[in-house]
Amino acid sequence: MSVAERIGPAIDAGRMSGRVWLYTNYHCNLACSYCLTSSAPKVDPRLLEPAAALRLAEEAADLGFRELGITGGEPFLLTWLPELLVDLAALLPVTVLSNGTLFTPKLVERLRALADLPVAIQISLDRPDPVANDAMRGPENFARVLAALPRLVEAGITVRLATTVELEEIGPGKTPEQERLCALHRSVGIGDDDHVIRPIVRRGRAATGGMGVPATRDDLEPELTVTADGAFWSPFAPTVTAGRLDTELLLTRTVVPLAKPASTRLRLFEGRPPGHDTTLGIR
Amino acid sequence: MSLVPLLDAQQAPLPAQEFYADGDPGPIVAALAHVPEVLEVTLPFLGVVLGPSALSLRTKEIVILRTSAVLACRYCVDTHTVAARDADLSVDEVRALRGEAEVAGAFPDPADRSLIGWVDAVALGPGTPPPEVAAAVSASVGEAALVELTLLTATTLLLNRFATSLGLPTSPETLRRLGEEGWR
Repeated sequence: MSVAERIGPAIDAGRMSGRVWLYTNYHCNLACSYCLTSSAPKVDPRLLEPAAALRLAEEAADLGFRELGITGGEPFLLTWLPELLVDLAALLPVTVLSNGTLFTPKLVERLRALADLPVAIQISLDRPDPVANDAMRGPENFARVLAALPRLVEAGITVRLATTVELEEIGPGKTPEQERLCALHRSVGIGDDDHVIRPIVRRGRAATGGMGVPATRDDLEPELTVTADGAFWSPFAPTVTAGRLDTELLLTRTVVPLAKPASTRLRLFEGRPPGHDTTLGIR
Repeated sequence: MSLVPLLDAQQAPLPAQEFYADGDPGPIVAALAHVPEVLEVTLPFLGVVLGPSALSLRTKEIVILRTSAVLACRYCVDTHTVAARDADLSVDEVRALRGEAEVAGAFPDPADRSLIGWVDAVALGPGTPPPEVAAAVSASVGEAALVELTLLTATTLLLNRFATSLGLPTSPETLRRLGEEGWR
């Protein structure tokens, strides 16, 4: 049975995620305290060139995957990203993660084409107060995100919000601080269904700083993740700690054809014991 | 000093982890683990070519140690000096295979000498081994054995260049044995 013939049924049966993640780059204009990839302005960008990203997306669609995730680093640092997103969205629905600090009126104009496409931009905002938020994410982060959100919403682009905090701060109900954050996103037209609260994962810079919840393979939902360095178990896997790529969740260095790492993931997943990815809420 | 970091069990990629199940798998695995899809097919191949087979263990160690000495692979010569002694090759035989003594003096059996002549010709090249060397080895081994020991020589060449180029370190246990037995 071919890989493509195995992927569809595995997705239907809930034995694997239908989403493939692409790390377009590792550099970022911010250097957040808990960043998995230890991203910063001057790190090795580890670029996944647009032609390579598009070819991978085509293969993902052919193999039966159903969604794409784009992450980094900060993907919107890449000048070609708006056009790439249009091309990717012609193949599969796309969620692109962003720190939300680069959405100038000029960039948002270039992104207007996304309004009619299955593309969502997921922006990080951790606290409802600039001081607490910017302590983790950098100066002016809060103000820039608050300026970007209505600009994107007004352009008709689907926007989601991601809040990353310590696991202890995530309870069955929302804390008063989180309620204030929710009031804030509701005020700009982002509904509760488009807001995710997730724990810091102790990898990358978070591990160096002693932050976050430890997560092993069985804690992470297996979502095939492709970077310039190879294919990994999950988007939380290709992390960088103290300048070195973490390899213990590497699947293959080969990423084209995508069937190669997809096949390896299927084989490893089928032998995977029940894990805690749902209880930790890492997503 | 290895040119690349040797991946330990904590950094071994998912498909490579089974090779660490019994402890330190050695530097060849720890280096190949950087490319797990290559490791996954290379290790079974090496296991078949280098492991127990129709060729005797003594024959295999003659081939491996001699090839490694010809290629001047420090890692493989160290490792297979110990392995050859464990395969009951004498000190004089090991010294001759390492190029430290005359082969003719250490190996009185013409079949052994024709084997070593074949290994030298395959390892050193270039081009086709001389017809008289091929005729000599063909006279003492069957066709299947000739294929196998030629592949063994070629596989050892691969490992020699891999280990030497990456500067793989001799294991502490091998170094201890070499010291105790006066090889260093």
